[in-house]
Amino acid sequence: MSDYRETGILNKDDIKLPDEERLKKGPVVILECVENIPCDPCVAACPKEAISMEEITDLPDIDFEDCIGCALCVTECPGLAIFAVDCSRERCSVTIPYEFKPVPEKGDIVLALDRKGDPVQKSEVLGVRHSGKTYGITLAVDKENIWKVRGLKVIE
Amino acid sequence: MTIMICRCEDLTEEDILEAISEGYTEIEKIKRHLRLGMGPCQGKTCILLVERILARELGKGSEDMDEPTARPPSRQVPFGLLVGDGDD
Amino acid sequence: MPDNRIKEHPVLDFDRGKEIYFEFEGKKIKAYERETIASALYANGIHQFTESKKMHRPRGFFCAIGKCSSCIMKVNGIPHVRTCITPVEEGMKVERHSAQPEIPEIEPEPYPEPEEKEVEIAVVGGGPAGLSAAIVAAEFGGDVHLFDEGDSLGGQLVKQTHQFFGSHKAEAGTRGIDIGTDLLEKAKEMGVKIHHNATVLGYYPEMTLTVDAGGKLEIYHVKGIVYATGAIENYLAFENNDLPGIYGAGGVQTLMNEQGIIPGRKVLMVGSGNVGLIVSYQLLQAGVDVVEVVEAMPHIGGYQVHASKIRRAGVPINTRHTIVKAKGDYEVESAIIQELDEDWNPVPGTEREIECDIICIAVGLQPDNHFLRQAGCDIEFVRELGGFVPIRNKDMETTVEGIFVAGDAAGIEEATVAVLEGRLAGAAIIQRLYGTSEDTQKEKEKAREGIEQMRKGPYGQMPRRGVKVCTIDEEVC
Repeated sequence: MSDYRETGILNKDDIKLPDEERLKKGPVVILECVENIPCDPCVAACPKEAISMEEITDLPDIDFEDCIGCALCVTECPGLAIFAVDCSRERCSVTIPYEFKPVPEKGDIVLALDRKGDPVQKSEVLGVRHSGKTYGITLAVDKENIWKVRGLKVIE
Repeated sequence: MTIMICRCEDLTEEDILEAISEGYTEIEKIKRHLRLGMGPCQGKTCILLVERILARELGKGSEDMDEPTARPPSRQVPFGLLVGDGDD
Repeated sequence: MPDNRIKEHPVLDFDRGKEIYFEFEGKKIKAYERETIASALYANGIHQFTESKKMHRPRGFFCAIGKCSSCIMKVNGIPHVRTCITPVEEGMKVERHSAQPEIPEIEPEPYPEPEEKEVEIAVVGGGPAGLSAAIVAAEFGGDVHLFDEGDSLGGQLVKQTHQFFGSHKAEAGTRGIDIGTDLLEKAKEMGVKIHHNATVLGYYPEMTLTVDAGGKLEIYHVKGIVYATGAIENYLAFENNDLPGIYGAGGVQTLMNEQGIIPGRKVLMVGSGNVGLIVSYQLLQAGVDVVEVVEAMPHIGGYQVHASKIRRAGVPINTRHTIVKAKGDYEVESAIIQELDEDWNPVPGTEREIECDIICIAVGLQPDNHFLRQAGCDIEFVRELGGFVPIRNKDMETTVEGIFVAGDAAGIEEATVAVLEGRLAGAAIIQRLYGTSEDTQKEKEKAREGIEQMRKGPYGQMPRRGVKVCTIDEEVC
């Protein structure tokens, strides 16, 4: 088991990831929720029934074949623990849930951060959506950074 | 060095340890001796801290501790509220 | 003077009302009409309000809800005014006074005669548990009176800007602030008589409550009571732990999320349970720098998802670390933290000074059992539930017939459980007073099923074990 209980940071092996082939096909969401907390809004948010759970304290399970990467669940997850990645286009992207001010705008350049808050690269904002007051910010991210980038900071 | 235990009555850890060494080894007795927990907040920060000190000093567990008696009023109130205008 | 009011917040809008001016020790101070005296002073960078009783140590803003008296000042010539719950007014004159101020020679306004009333059900506490109990009891036809000492109801919910976990069929995904408003609306709709600014002062046998109803004594003779008094924050013993700038997480949330004022610029958070993690996140949302989170245990106390949220915002979490000292003459200027060994003893040589102006204490909660003890309910220490809790049956009835308990007062758990326990107690108190019916029985079973669901999984293990120890396997009927 990884040391996230000491660090608060998940490692790649804590998370179910899609294979290369699936990544090429289109956007897909990644559930970074590993602790059986009693919570299920992601299941209800999915229009394709790709996320399942029998009991409320089960871990959500995602079927990468059914997931269309619409990222509706990204802004619905109360734990802000769902991210979307897309490697099917020319530029790869990661969609991140965001609840701070200021909210970046499409076309802005922001600092993409890793799970520790350290800067990974500068990223262009490709899209901004929101559900209520939680935003989903889509960042252009270099292919090698799609498993690293999980946060963002607006450059003042 | 000041480690504050009861903010309302200005009782430090030193005061509590002294009381324990004088034989006040129950929370109810410390309360009556030092007015612990009898200030405006009615023991909201201090009781747990004193229970911990007592457990540590007496080599007991928290489950062996008692809670002090709770009496009304639970909050500070103006005298007038309880006695009216004092005419009767 | 600095202005510590939050200008922009990702979740909250602050309606402060009209701009007004008052006088603090001869200086003109800007305030807003919905602020309290303490929050207006705090917003202007004034942190020391009075001094302690014997040792004359600086005292300032602390509990923010009128309970601790660290904020008493002289207002328009009257000493001992709790400034954290007293609204600021145009032209008011506010001064600091010594610990034992002289009592002015003034003829006080006569207090109105106490009023005695007979009602059926009293619910004490207007948080998630109390509101839910009141809603259900009123739904089943009960004459329900709900008492809360605050101006606005909702308990701790009103300070929660994050979306709640739980079932999407219930309130999951909704922010705490909105859940509180919904419950209050529902209670009003159901005909619950809501008494705000009404502080229950005491319980007297048989089934009598005294209430400070905004400066008037009221005496209620009731048939049944639900105590939903919530929790008290645990505090920590360390050097200079009473300096202004050291607050509980609840005080920080009140100042920041209810009144829209940042507590400071740089915060050291002590404790990594869900409260510590969530309040750290809320501080970041308010634009405050959280310098570090320290946790005495070898692992993070709260959910990984909460921890991850603040980690990716760049906040370090140091396990096996504690605070040993706060430094500063009149308020916090820095803190000394230290590593702990396996036996919880500080490791010499590992002291580190952290520059901060706020130390936020979030080291757990304990059930507020004050009234339960007054009423003579049997209580027992149950570590898994956070402290001394009442012995109760499967319907949340205590060992005193007709007195029920719900929410954190019954044991520290999540808000969803508080809601469900409230619903359970609300249906059960109706059964106690009027006998059982199919509908009340159904409501009870539904609530119990929900509670059981919430207690599944690894985080439910503690409360699951805890309630087993203090629950008698009986129902009301």
